[in-house]
Amino acid sequence: MNRVPGFFPGIGISRRALFQKSMLGIGTVAIAHLLDQEGLLASGSNGNEIGTDLGQRAARFPAKATSMIMLMMAGGPSQIDLFDPKPELQKRDGQTYPGDVEVLQPGSGNKTLMASPFKFQRHGQCGTEISELLPSIGSVVDEFCLVRSMHSDNNNHPQATRCLNSGKIFPGRPVLGSWISYALGTENQNLPAYVVLRDPDGYNNGGTTMWENGWLPAIYRGTEIQSRGAAVLDLHPGFSVPDGMQRNNLAAIARLNEERRKLYPHESELESRIRNYELAARMQLSAERVLDISGETQATRQLYGLGNPTTENFGARCLMARRLIESGVRFVHLMVPVKLGGNPWDHHEGLKEGLEALCPLVDLPTAGLIRDLKQRGLLDSTIVLWSGEFGRLPVSQHGTGRDHNRNAFSSILAGGGFKAGYVHGATDEFSYKSVAGRVSCPDLLATILNQLGLDHDQLTYTHHGREESLTDSAVTNARVIRELVM
Amino acid sequence: MVSELRSGEGPMASQRGKRIAIVVMFVLSLARAIVAAEPDKVATFEHDIWPIVVKNCTACHGAGELESGLDLRTVAGVRRGGNSGPAINPTTPEKSLLLERVVKREMPPSKHGRLTDNELAIISAWVKAGTIAEHPDKIPGAVSLVRDEDRQFWSFRPLTRPAIPRVTNSARGRTPIDAFLLTRLEAKGISFSPDADPATLVRRVYLDLIGLPPNPAELDSYLADNQPGAYERLLDRLLASSHFGERWARHWLDVAGYVDTVGFDTDATNIILSEGKWKYRDYVIRALNDDKPYDRFLHEQLAGDEIYDWRRAPHFTPEIRDALIATGYLRTARDMTHEEVGVIPQNFFGIMHDTLEIMGTGLLGLTINCSRCHNHKFDPIPQEDYYRLMSMLSPAYNPNAWLPVIPYEAKIKDRGLPDVSPTEKAEIERHNAELDRQQAELRQKLMEIRDPYQQRILAARLDTLPEVIRADTQAARDTSADKRTEVQKYLAEKFKEFLTVKPEDVAAALSEDEKKSVAALEGQTAELEKSRRKWGIVQALYDVGPMPATRVLIRGNELTPGDEVVPGYLRVLCRDEKDALGAPAPVAEGSSGRRLAFARWLTNPESPASSLLARVFVNRVWQQLYGRGVVPTLDNFGVQGQPPSHPELLEWMACEFRDGGWKIKALIKSMMMTTAYQQASHRESTGSEGTNAKSTEADPEKIDPGNELLWRMRLRRLESEVVRDSILAISGKLNRTAGGPPILIEAKPDGMVVVAKKALKDPSDEYRRSVYLVARRAYNLSLLTVFDQPLVATNCLKRDASAVPLQSLMMLNDAFLHDQAAALALRIAREHSAVPEQQIEAAFRLVLVRRPNANELETCGDLLRKQIELAAREGQSASDAAHQGLVQLCHTLLNTSEFLYAE
Repeated sequence: MNRVPGFFPGIGISRRALFQKSMLGIGTVAIAHLLDQEGLLASGSNGNEIGTDLGQRAARFPAKATSMIMLMMAGGPSQIDLFDPKPELQKRDGQTYPGDVEVLQPGSGNKTLMASPFKFQRHGQCGTEISELLPSIGSVVDEFCLVRSMHSDNNNHPQATRCLNSGKIFPGRPVLGSWISYALGTENQNLPAYVVLRDPDGYNNGGTTMWENGWLPAIYRGTEIQSRGAAVLDLHPGFSVPDGMQRNNLAAIARLNEERRKLYPHESELESRIRNYELAARMQLSAERVLDISGETQATRQLYGLGNPTTENFGARCLMARRLIESGVRFVHLMVPVKLGGNPWDHHEGLKEGLEALCPLVDLPTAGLIRDLKQRGLLDSTIVLWSGEFGRLPVSQHGTGRDHNRNAFSSILAGGGFKAGYVHGATDEFSYKSVAGRVSCPDLLATILNQLGLDHDQLTYTHHGREESLTDSAVTNARVIRELVM
Repeated sequence: MVSELRSGEGPMASQRGKRIAIVVMFVLSLARAIVAAEPDKVATFEHDIWPIVVKNCTACHGAGELESGLDLRTVAGVRRGGNSGPAINPTTPEKSLLLERVVKREMPPSKHGRLTDNELAIISAWVKAGTIAEHPDKIPGAVSLVRDEDRQFWSFRPLTRPAIPRVTNSARGRTPIDAFLLTRLEAKGISFSPDADPATLVRRVYLDLIGLPPNPAELDSYLADNQPGAYERLLDRLLASSHFGERWARHWLDVAGYVDTVGFDTDATNIILSEGKWKYRDYVIRALNDDKPYDRFLHEQLAGDEIYDWRRAPHFTPEIRDALIATGYLRTARDMTHEEVGVIPQNFFGIMHDTLEIMGTGLLGLTINCSRCHNHKFDPIPQEDYYRLMSMLSPAYNPNAWLPVIPYEAKIKDRGLPDVSPTEKAEIERHNAELDRQQAELRQKLMEIRDPYQQRILAARLDTLPEVIRADTQAARDTSADKRTEVQKYLAEKFKEFLTVKPEDVAAALSEDEKKSVAALEGQTAELEKSRRKWGIVQALYDVGPMPATRVLIRGNELTPGDEVVPGYLRVLCRDEKDALGAPAPVAEGSSGRRLAFARWLTNPESPASSLLARVFVNRVWQQLYGRGVVPTLDNFGVQGQPPSHPELLEWMACEFRDGGWKIKALIKSMMMTTAYQQASHRESTGSEGTNAKSTEADPEKIDPGNELLWRMRLRRLESEVVRDSILAISGKLNRTAGGPPILIEAKPDGMVVVAKKALKDPSDEYRRSVYLVARRAYNLSLLTVFDQPLVATNCLKRDASAVPLQSLMMLNDAFLHDQAAALALRIAREHSAVPEQQIEAAFRLVLVRRPNANELETCGDLLRKQIELAAREGQSASDAAHQGLVQLCHTLLNTSEFLYAE
């Protein structure tokens, strides 16, 4: 079920076979992983068995990027007020929008154009205009690619969030982080490949579905790490036993599980479970060291806005994300703070006050993350995506807000070979619809995979007899947008 | 599907039928194109024109005052036209007034909106086609939005009992269910796997029926039963166990979205309970244990308050009380009205919307909530139908007479009801008043004995004070606290202890006779107190206040009410329009009878709704026992859901269930008596039976890799509650007490949620079954959450079964696991000799319900030896080291994957 012919020629090993040969327990497994990572183990007769572990794997072709941080801006940030200034809209404030408007909720029926209450300023060498609400993001504008021509398939949060994360609006599909972990494994065998840093104060709307593995093996599901308190619950024993006992237990657990697993050669979940124990053991050794930000310099802390109650929440998690990437985690999924709601960018009403309250929570930390990655030489190999699931309408809702807009939104892509200081695409004169250089969510995903050295059409998984992929380009027409990358 | 926090607005059609959905959307868009391009393909007013008219026209030309006298809601109205004449010219349709006005963009007026080009094209095509001339005029009022062909969709059709297929290898099948499965397997050249090994099977059965593993004695007694029918007797015995209800109630509580808390429950450290809500949980357990038929079960939950005239009942029988408690099913939605600021119409309607979603997915497998804002995009559910259903809730969740969930101030009446009748309540109050009177008398007598001593002791103490302050101190003592002077305050404080005569001081001074009298009087007081009576609170749903009008909410917004609806049902599940108008059930005064009528419509075998109801329930039970539904999309039996993998099997089982009297235990048993259920979950098994499988048989793994045809039993990970309860059963710590208020849990600062030990009445309550712990929307016990106990936004139809490293960490490192391993080690040491092989075998039999094989024995023997040596090296005594070794062994076995699965 999880054989992918030809995708990773020449590497891969049945670690089960190793176990059967040696039965020496954990130590051997670790060695097996090391060997596996370096491609030193000859493959079995039918080789190419991948997709059940987190061992690091080479990309399909030379890659610009090796890891990714996704800053999920749940709710649908208003591109009109943040990234996509529209002089025409400013001029025609209060007039009726001349065309059809696709709305979700009531309140926009009059189609009254609503100018942005915010000013835009040119930033950096490239001179891109960014809203006054995001001065820090503006200050790093020369480091990122701003896509102003995004569009989605659905006008509601759950569907659109899935579209951005998993390429389609339907539930139950694996998300980007799962696919990337599946394809590339992870460099650091002591940490999960795919880490989720949600707000410790709660879940965003959509909860854990934003990091689900779908029908990919469960080991590729995002692992939640607590950014407050114990990094991972039960990371260390909650009782005291002599040194070495747990190691002995782990070895016995591994043997017993392997013994029983022989009966179920096709249950990938059991394989995942065995690997989880190995991972759990290794996590104990290194997780807290990686997540402990107390040793960071004052300069770094300031960069992320630590010590300031406004920016502390998101800033601390951005800093942890950098440390995780630095330690070889493949994919870090960071969720927008829930202080202002589970879908905080969802400004159906009170847009002005809402944006004024929310932007400061994420502006400085986002810029700090990009700047810090850059100064450490990590930005070239790390993609940073800042995006909501859709944008908002140019017309007012209830006089003070904006309803959902799937036809136009803006996303930021920094690092990982994406063009820096570059603006891609454009919307119409009101930012109602992306018109030039349109980029769909599956297009974006295909391009991201491309930067990671993966071909979105060839990265597949056999599910119920069908070769499934993240972008399913036969249906979505997804394509790599070459203009976005260097 | 995973349990998911709903995201505020708009429902999502949640299932995996993505390809179907794409096809449907494609077809829809194609249909539109055809309509626009080819006038002869114009469908009907109802399907193509009506949605456009509702969106753009009826605000002025259909509701209330008709502008220009034009009513565009019906074909007749269109034909009749308005003040300017007929809207459509029947002889030369292209010259119709309607067309002229819309083409010129005069209508709708631009301030109200604008037809899209596509809408304009559809209207033009329809008008020009001239079909209106042939349109029958007899369709009255809101014309039918649901056609007979819609009623022919597989899930909406009335059930028809299929013939049981004949199969080649009939020896391999035990029941008709097997025949339906085998016929599909045989068509592919494969068959069932051999029967599971008896120990595996007995564990599977125990976990499925009571959620606890068998202990070694139970296993042995089953294995020793060589008489025919042993397996069936096992099922019957467990179906009769009181633990059966605890296990299966959890499934239903998921479907109902039951939690003990109120509101959104978003604050980890603040648990808000509503008094007596837990009684609904106990009701469900009791109903399942009593094998209450599903139709009766639903009647009580949807309309228990309308079955009995409880408002006038002289006393509440247990039946009345249960029926009221049962309506707690309709009280599970997030209710924010425990705070005064939450008492707003938006929340009232939100509760009804959530409740309808819970009912729609849980009872009918339909995403009726999609019709809240507009006609359902995929299923034949008009928006009006949604509000017809709402009309059954609105007399109870009455926006004009709202009752909050918890009184936010003392004077406010909330939705809780006393669990006794008004007469009984008055009688209890009388009884308690008499009690108070008698107790007051006794207190008086006690005082008469004690008081003289008290005075004497006090006087003696005052006498010991220096004379200069004696009088002042006495005055300070005799003055009430608020009237004391500064000096008196000082004295009263300084001599507080000294001047307080304690009861024991008085008791010591009493004579022997007086002591006896006091003891007797105190005894009588306590005795009286025992007879004090109380009533409890039940959280029911019942109609209140004058009946409100229920209106269609335009775009689902309560601020824009539309036409009033007539109470009724889903048209697609009725024979025709007339059938869909629900006459209220005749019930006692004070209630509308709408919910009882709805419950009867659902469950009456003559009603097409009962067919869908039966399919959905049967499918859910199948999912619980077989790991995947015959219809995999448990919450969507509509067009966007996945079709059944075995349509005839589903029809047959649904017929059996409904026509056999909705017997839940019989349904469960019928699914477990099959070969399909009893077969091994892996192919290499060497079961005693079923050797018929030929060696030439095709490889089922190649033919059906997803095991959709059930050629082997599916491996199922235990649900969170079963994991915890099993650990407790194995360690011997499980407290089997049934029912009662929930056991409190608390969130630690690091996010770990544990049982709140300080709040326990009895320490052993820490180890009650998981169904009795406080159920929250989030922040449930970490051990349960990590094993996929759902986040409850509305309800959960299917649990996720993830395998993530956090589970491994919890099983390895959590203090709870270690404690239970230690208890298990003590249990083994107590019950068995210290011979390592025997201890290992005992541990295997307790944890995994089987004996170890040679490899496992060796692995565990090595482990035991190593751990004992290690402990000894650490300086532990021989007996401590032996115990330590055994604890590690037990902990290790609890950590095996095998423990977490029903194999």
